[in-house]
Amino acid sequence: MAKTIMIVDDSASIRQVVGIALKSAGYDVLEACDGKDALSKLTGQKIHLIITDVNMPNMDGITFVTEAKKLPQYKFTPMMMLTTEAGTDKKMAGKAAGAKAWLTKPFQPPTLMAAVSKLVLP
Amino acid sequence: MTIETQEQNGITNITIKDEMTIYTALEQKNELAPHLKTDHELHINLSEVSEIDSAGLQILLFLKHEATTKNIDLSLLNHSQSVVEVLELLNLTAHFGDPIIISADWKSS
Amino acid sequence: MSELDAALETFAQEAEELLTEMEDSLLILEDTPDDSETINSVFRAMHTIKGSSGLFGFNLIVAFTHEAETILDQVRNGERSIDASLISTLLSCKDHTIKLLEFCFESPDADLPEDLQQTGDILIEQLTGQAKQEQLAVTTGTTEIENEGGDLSADNWLISLDFQQDALRNGMDPLSFIRYLKTLGEIKQILTSTPDLPSGNDMDPESCYLQFKILFKSDADKQTIEEVFEFASDDCDIKILPPDSQVEHYLNLLNTQTEEHVSLLGEMLIEAGAITKNDIDKALDAQSKQDPEQNEPAKPLGEILVEQQVIQQPVVEEALKKQEKTRQKVATESSYIRVDSNKLGQLINLVGELVISGAAMNLMVERHGLADVEEVATSMNTLVSDIRDTALELRMVQIGETFSRFRRVVRDVSKELSKDIELTISGGESELDKTVVEKINDPLTHLIRNSLDHGIESPEQRVQAGKPATGNISLNAFHESGHIVIQIIDDGAGLDSEKIVAKAINNGLITSAEEMSQQEIFNLIFEAGLSTKQQASSLSGRGVGMDVVKRNIEALRGSVNIDSIAGQGTTITIHLPLTLAIIDGFMVKTEHERYIIPLSMVEECVEMDAQEYEIDEIQHYVNLRGEVMPYLRLGDYFQNRKSHSKTGRESLVVVRFGQTKAGFVVDELLGEHQTVIKPLGKVFQSLKGITGATVLGDGNVALILDVQGLIRHATKNKQRIPSQLTSVA
Repeated sequence: MAKTIMIVDDSASIRQVVGIALKSAGYDVLEACDGKDALSKLTGQKIHLIITDVNMPNMDGITFVTEAKKLPQYKFTPMMMLTTEAGTDKKMAGKAAGAKAWLTKPFQPPTLMAAVSKLVLP
Repeated sequence: MTIETQEQNGITNITIKDEMTIYTALEQKNELAPHLKTDHELHINLSEVSEIDSAGLQILLFLKHEATTKNIDLSLLNHSQSVVEVLELLNLTAHFGDPIIISADWKSS
Repeated sequence: MSELDAALETFAQEAEELLTEMEDSLLILEDTPDDSETINSVFRAMHTIKGSSGLFGFNLIVAFTHEAETILDQVRNGERSIDASLISTLLSCKDHTIKLLEFCFESPDADLPEDLQQTGDILIEQLTGQAKQEQLAVTTGTTEIENEGGDLSADNWLISLDFQQDALRNGMDPLSFIRYLKTLGEIKQILTSTPDLPSGNDMDPESCYLQFKILFKSDADKQTIEEVFEFASDDCDIKILPPDSQVEHYLNLLNTQTEEHVSLLGEMLIEAGAITKNDIDKALDAQSKQDPEQNEPAKPLGEILVEQQVIQQPVVEEALKKQEKTRQKVATESSYIRVDSNKLGQLINLVGELVISGAAMNLMVERHGLADVEEVATSMNTLVSDIRDTALELRMVQIGETFSRFRRVVRDVSKELSKDIELTISGGESELDKTVVEKINDPLTHLIRNSLDHGIESPEQRVQAGKPATGNISLNAFHESGHIVIQIIDDGAGLDSEKIVAKAINNGLITSAEEMSQQEIFNLIFEAGLSTKQQASSLSGRGVGMDVVKRNIEALRGSVNIDSIAGQGTTITIHLPLTLAIIDGFMVKTEHERYIIPLSMVEECVEMDAQEYEIDEIQHYVNLRGEVMPYLRLGDYFQNRKSHSKTGRESLVVVRFGQTKAGFVVDELLGEHQTVIKPLGKVFQSLKGITGATVLGDGNVALILDVQGLIRHATKNKQRIPSQLTSVA
C-alpha cells in the first residue's frame, strides 16, 4: 500500500518537482498551494506525511500546522517544515506548532528523499 | 467493530481487523485490555492487520507483558506481512515466541 | 523526463511573473521606501526563485539570488534602509537574474560565461559591499581525513535510543528511523525494551515507552548517524558510542589538529568527529544541572561525556593533554580581540529581543499559573539580565579617550584667542556605551569652545580680577544612579544674569524674570536665539547655537544644566544614560494604557489613600511628608481626560531628575520591567513627554516617559502659584 504525502507550497514548480521526486520513489502525492487550500483537502483520507512551506499567502505554514494538528485524523501525522537557513526562529515556531521535522531551502531531490525516508518509507 | 471476539472451549479468539497504528491504538487497547482478566487462553489473530507502527507494536508488547504477569497464555497467530516485518526488524519474534508462517506470495507483493 | 520538462516550464513562467512583480514593487519603493508589504514582495521574488532553482540544481542562480535575498531580508527586518542606489542595484539584479535563468534553461550544465560571471560579481559587490572571494575560502579542511575513517571501523557502533512519551503524538515513529538507519549500514543486533511500560489502565497507548539498543555496522561517520535521528532529537534521548576501532583514528586526528583549532575540549572532539554538537550540548546541560548543594566542584566535561557513553576514555585523555599544551601557549599571547562594532550592535539587538521574549514567557507562566515553570523562568530571567549586562558592557568604553582629544582643542583655541588656559581631566575611567560616546563628542566640543571663548577672560582681565593669569577648564565624569554625569567647569567670569534676562525679554522668550530662580535664568541660554556675546566669534558663534547642543543631548535622553557664580566661574553639568539600548523600567498603568518610567529615576511610590501627604487638586502640588512637589496625572496629560472617577485606587510615583522631583499619578503600579527601547517613528517624534516605546511580552506597546520633560511641564504648572506654595512648605 503506497504511503501518501501532502506537499503544501505556493510555488507551483516546487510542488511539481517535489511531486515527481516523491512519485518516482513510490509515494502517492497530494498537492495544495497554501495552508487554506491544504486544510480544505484534509478530508479524512490517510496521509503519512505533510510537507509544508512556511511563507505562503492566505494561510502560512505555521498556522496550517497548528490547525491541522487540531483535526483528529491528522493530529499524529508527521509534519515537515520547509525553512530557509536564516529561519531558525521559524523552525522553532514550527516545532512548537507540531512540525518536528524540517528541511532547509533550497534543497535538491536527494536531500528531500533522505529527509522524507527518515519519517516514512514508501 | 474492528475487533471480533469469540469464546470457545476456554479460549478467547480475537481477530484484529484493522491497522494497528497511533490512530487506532487507544480504541484497540481499551477493547483488548478487558480480555486479560479471564483465565482463558488468548489467541490473537493478526492476519488482517494491514499496517502496524510503533504504537501498534506497543499494544502487542503491552498485552504480552500483562499476560505474562497474570499467567495468561497468549499467542499471536497468523501474523500479517506487516506485523512480521516489524517483529523481524526489531528482533522480537523470539520475545513473543509464536511460530510465524510466511506466506509464499508476500515477497512478490 | 517530460514531466520534469513540464516543471521547468512552470518554473520559467513563475520566475517571469515574480520578476515582473519585483520590478513593479521596486519602482513603488522609490516613492514609498518604507512600505513593508512591497519590500516583502521583492524579498519573496528572490526567495522563491532561489528555492526553485535549488530544486532544479541551478546552483548559479541559487548563489546569486542568495545574496540579494540576504540583503532584502535585512531590509525587511529594518537592519538596512532602502535607498535609490540600492533600488537601482536591485533592478540590475532582477535583469541579471533573467539572464541567468535564460542561460540555465538553455545550457543547464555549462559553465557561466565570463561576462555574466563578472556582472554577477559586480552586483554582489554592490549589494554586500565586499568582494566575493571571501566566500570561496570557507571550506572545511577535515572532510578528507574523515572519509578515510571508513576503513578503520571494523566493528560496531552502539546506538541507544530512549524515546520520550510524546514521540508518537508528535508524529515520530521510532520504527521509521530504524528502517532508515538500515539504509546506512547493517543492524547487527537490536534489543527492544519497554522498562517503563505501566500496567493496566496506566498504560497510555498514545505514549511512547520504547527503548532500543542497536549494534550497528556502518562506514558512515558519527554526524551522519546522528542525523538519522535528527527529527526525533526533541523526543528521544540518543547516545551513539563509536566502535572501539575508531578510537585510534580519533587519536590520530587529535594529534594532527593545528593549534589554532585547539580551544575547548568539546570543539576539539567535534572536529575530530569523535562526538557531535548534540553530545556536547547534552553534556553541558548535565554539567549545569548538578546539585549545587553538594558543594562539589563541577564535574569535568570529559568525565560526563564518558559517563554518558558517547565517547571512550582514552580519546578524552588525549584531547585534554593536547588542550593543556595549547593553553600554555595561548596564555602568553594577547588577551584582546578586535570585534566589528556592528557585530556588537547586532548582539545587543538580539539580547533586546531575548529580553522581550523573556517577558513574553513570564507573562505566559503567570497567566497559566505554572508554579514549577516559574522556578525555571526565574533562573532564566537572572541569566537573561546577566547576559544583557554583559552584552552592554562589551560596548562600554572609557570616556577618557574622548576627554583627551580636547587637550588639542584647548591648546589650539587658547593660542588663537591669546589666552592662557589649561585643561584638567578627571574621572576619565568612567565607562559608557560607545554609541553614546560617539554622539556626545559634538555637543562637548561646542560647550568647551564656548567656555574657552566666552567663559575664560583674557589674562589681563583675570589679573585685574585678582585671579591667576592662567585659566582652568576641567572635564570631570562620574556615575550617578544609572547615569553618567559629565561636568565642564571653568574658572572664568561666570554668566551675567542681567544680560541674559535683558536679552531674553528683548527676544520675547520671557516677559519678566520676577518669578525665575537664578538657575532657571542661566538655563535660558539653551533657548533658541540667545547669544549674549555682543559679536559672535568664529569659534562658538558658527550658527550652531546652544539650543542645538541641548537638543542633541536631549535626543540621547540626557539633560544639560548650567550653574554659575559671577566672577568665579561656570559649571555645565550633563546627565546622560549609560546606554541607548536597554533600561530597567518601572511599569505603570493608567486609563488602560501602560507606560514605562526609567527605574533609575523613580524615588518611591505612595498609595494615594495614604496619610503621608496632602494634595492640592487646584494648584497641582502635593505635600509629601513636608516636601512639596508638583504632580501630574498621566491620564490627564496623555488622554485629555476631563474628569476622573474616584472609584479606583490611585498611586503616586515620585520621580527625580537631578535636583527636581515631581509626582506622577497613575491607576496601577505594575512593577519592574526590563525595557528594550525602540525609537519612535518620525511621525511621533514631536510628541511631548515620550522618548520611545517598547514592545511588551504580550505584543502590546508601552510608551517610555520622558521624565525630564514631564517634570518640566509639571513644574511650569506649579510656578503660577509660588506664593501659596511657600506658605504650605
